[in-house]
Amino acid sequence: MIVQQIVQKALQKAQAVQAVMLTQETSAVDFENDRLKSAQSSQRTQIDVKVIVDGKVGFSSTTDPNDIEGVVSRALEAAEFGSPAHFELPDAQALEPVKIFDPALLPLEKPEMIRMGQQMMDMIKSYNPEILAGAAVSKTLYKVEYANSRGANYAADHTQFEVGAAGQLVRGTDILFAGQGIGQKKRAVDTEEIAAQAIEYFRLAEQIAPLGSGEMPVIFTPSGLIALLLSLGLAVDGKNVHLGASPLHDKLGQQIASPSLNIVDDPFVEFGPRTSAFDDEGTPRKVTPLVEKGVLRSFIYDRDTAGRAGVAPSGHGSARRLTNLVIDAGSTPYESMISGIKQGLLVHDFLGLGQGNPINGEFSVNVFLGYKIENGKLVGRVKDVMLAGNAFEALKDIVAISKEREWVSGPWAPLTGLMPYVQVGKLSVTAK
Amino acid sequence: MRDRLTEALKVHNVEYVDIRIEDKTNTWVNFRGPDLDTIGSARTLGGIVRALYKGGWGYATFNDLNDLPKRVQDACETARLVGTGTTYFAPLEPVVDISTARMIKDFRQVPLAEKKALMEAYNRIILGHHKSIQTSNVRYADSFKQVWYANSDGTYIEEEIPDTNVMLVAVARDGDVVQTGFDWGGGIDGFQSIENFHEQARHAAQNAVELLAAPPVTGGKYTVVTDQILTGVFTHEAFGHLSESDFVYENPSMQEIMQLGKRFGVDGLNIVDDGSLSGGLGTHRYDYEGTPTRKNYLIKDGILVGRLHSRETAAKMGEPLTGNARAVHFQHPPIVRMTNTYIEPGTVAFEDMIKDIDLGVYAVRSIGGQTAMEMFTFSASYGYMIRKGQVAELVRDVVLTGNVFDTLMNIDQIGNDLGWEPNGPGGCGKGDQHPLRVGLGGPHIRIQNCVVGGQQ
Repeated sequence: MIVQQIVQKALQKAQAVQAVMLTQETSAVDFENDRLKSAQSSQRTQIDVKVIVDGKVGFSSTTDPNDIEGVVSRALEAAEFGSPAHFELPDAQALEPVKIFDPALLPLEKPEMIRMGQQMMDMIKSYNPEILAGAAVSKTLYKVEYANSRGANYAADHTQFEVGAAGQLVRGTDILFAGQGIGQKKRAVDTEEIAAQAIEYFRLAEQIAPLGSGEMPVIFTPSGLIALLLSLGLAVDGKNVHLGASPLHDKLGQQIASPSLNIVDDPFVEFGPRTSAFDDEGTPRKVTPLVEKGVLRSFIYDRDTAGRAGVAPSGHGSARRLTNLVIDAGSTPYESMISGIKQGLLVHDFLGLGQGNPINGEFSVNVFLGYKIENGKLVGRVKDVMLAGNAFEALKDIVAISKEREWVSGPWAPLTGLMPYVQVGKLSVTAK
Repeated sequence: MRDRLTEALKVHNVEYVDIRIEDKTNTWVNFRGPDLDTIGSARTLGGIVRALYKGGWGYATFNDLNDLPKRVQDACETARLVGTGTTYFAPLEPVVDISTARMIKDFRQVPLAEKKALMEAYNRIILGHHKSIQTSNVRYADSFKQVWYANSDGTYIEEEIPDTNVMLVAVARDGDVVQTGFDWGGGIDGFQSIENFHEQARHAAQNAVELLAAPPVTGGKYTVVTDQILTGVFTHEAFGHLSESDFVYENPSMQEIMQLGKRFGVDGLNIVDDGSLSGGLGTHRYDYEGTPTRKNYLIKDGILVGRLHSRETAAKMGEPLTGNARAVHFQHPPIVRMTNTYIEPGTVAFEDMIKDIDLGVYAVRSIGGQTAMEMFTFSASYGYMIRKGQVAELVRDVVLTGNVFDTLMNIDQIGNDLGWEPNGPGGCGKGDQHPLRVGLGGPHIRIQNCVVGGQQ
């Protein structure tokens, strides 16, 4: 294995070494503007090397398997000026068995992927021929290999499957984009359901519903929940905590959200979009409870930050990336959540998310796709509406969580997971 | 490399093929708080083949350069699977062009120790500025990219693309209030472009400290004046993306909205995209399909007069080539992108612009923007209230949002002071291609009836 060769080579000068290699093959088809537009084959190689020399860390990477000399010498050079290592590389450990590879994806070829995309497009067009439809299907096989100088040696073969459908509808100067997509590690996927969900977003938007400014109850769809979770994700990042930049840095064990909220980061979900047994630092993954009955339970740490903070690494990789977020279902059926609101807003997609001061919890976003709730019914799409508030205050003001949950995933989703609909008591809405 | 590419192109059996190979080496030094966070370097080598057949594209991307003819075959096979219609692709005279980068101080010759020492100095300035500075983030990045491009028309281009930038972030805290101050800069002509940022480090820290005491702006409709950087972001985000023809060329409703000859703004409004501009961050001699770049008026005297094209969109719409097919890197095919986009300066001095504003917002710099055709939103780094014709108190959380068409019509004054956003680690994102280096600029402008988000 190349990773072991790198470890041996670097050990001539370094006291500790780890190497990670990714090899990946992707096939993808892409429909745009009602037609099959392109198809693609991609081959990727990525090799990352981390060394510790005289207690200092150096890093380098390459995409060229013939560049082992180069990548090792650049890592050694960087270590000369590197930061002091606050961690040790992990020993070999037993890994949790995970379901990450579906052999059923192996025989899937582009013609079948084209057929799947065409089927979703046809459904959208038959609902409304004026929608410009698009679809994308992609299949990836990848292998991750890890080796370090303490004898840890892991390899994992993954499959990944992404399927999505979307459309664009222009009426006058009014433009509506909506779509639905799924990402997972198995082949079984219901393309009809994906297209039907995409169509549902258009159906609900057939009418434009004027909405006045003011404070009102707001329901976040599973996708829309990102507006609140983005801040939470940044605030539980161990590096932000250690540096004191997180507003939650001293809130471990304290009530930070409604007692109805339970969030777990679960890297072992069967065929989950971000399921894996070990991270890019050789740390075995584990289930991390983040919020239990509204009480903050954990932060996430890479090895170096954990070492600096004097805690254990959580297995979220050197970039401290959450895996599959799983939020407990609540007791309220989605339908009765809607029917219980006299005047309010259902929000699904935003513009401007993450601008401003997200770690503080403050958000002020344009509602890109949202629907007005009036007398217990969704009555149409809202336009030119800003939603503003503080994510942490909103999490405390959760008044209902739905029984229903949906996977939010795909390469563009900043966070991935199994999410319910969440109703917040009151948020400030500014309409033009 | 030229012989290898020419040889590989020979195996094709479609209407058009091109190959682009990139070899990039980059270095970074990051401080977070008092400690060095990461330091390192990486090399990325790879390429893309595009094949066009009966209107369908086949792409092959790869890191392994060993068997280029096989990648060409693969892309051709894929294109033949996709293509069933008619090809639209503007013809172009082949060119051969080999250009090398000129740097005043070549960052590849600067030892890592020197890069680290300089960032450490900036970092110390931020951390030592004030007792309420909680932490910092100082990031240095450089990259040198060598590009080889060849297509089946006979075009062959070699290009070198250097880039250096620093990002200086100060985080200040007072109880539960955390505020961030930024400054950034850099250039395409060498290491000296980031050598004198001590003052900017102080500015970032001071800004964070002052924002702690600043109230959030009250949401509502205001007369808004934007500074040059925010004007550039607005022009790019709110209008520029609408000029990218891949949104328009297969979309009859968008064609109606973006009809040439339509009025979009006041007489004095001129919006330009110019990929040939000397020293611009989005400047190239040729775009990523071998089309020469040039100065393109998008809006002239308030009237829509042009849009941005790739060879495919230009042919489909029967309009001239503009040289705007660009890709963020070799893992993506080129799509229609802006280069250096700006509002041409007018005649109004800043003082005259604000003197008759009773209550307004002066929005300064930008920490991001996003657009979805008609709707846009962008965040100023900070702002000031304008009261009775004077710049008054500092405010935070200034987010501007609105409908592009209304907002462009609402620009009533255009300043005389053209300025450009400095180079930085960010860039433009479109689809999954991010960040692409672009030039953004303009003068101060005044917008009537602009919605500023925020709690009421």
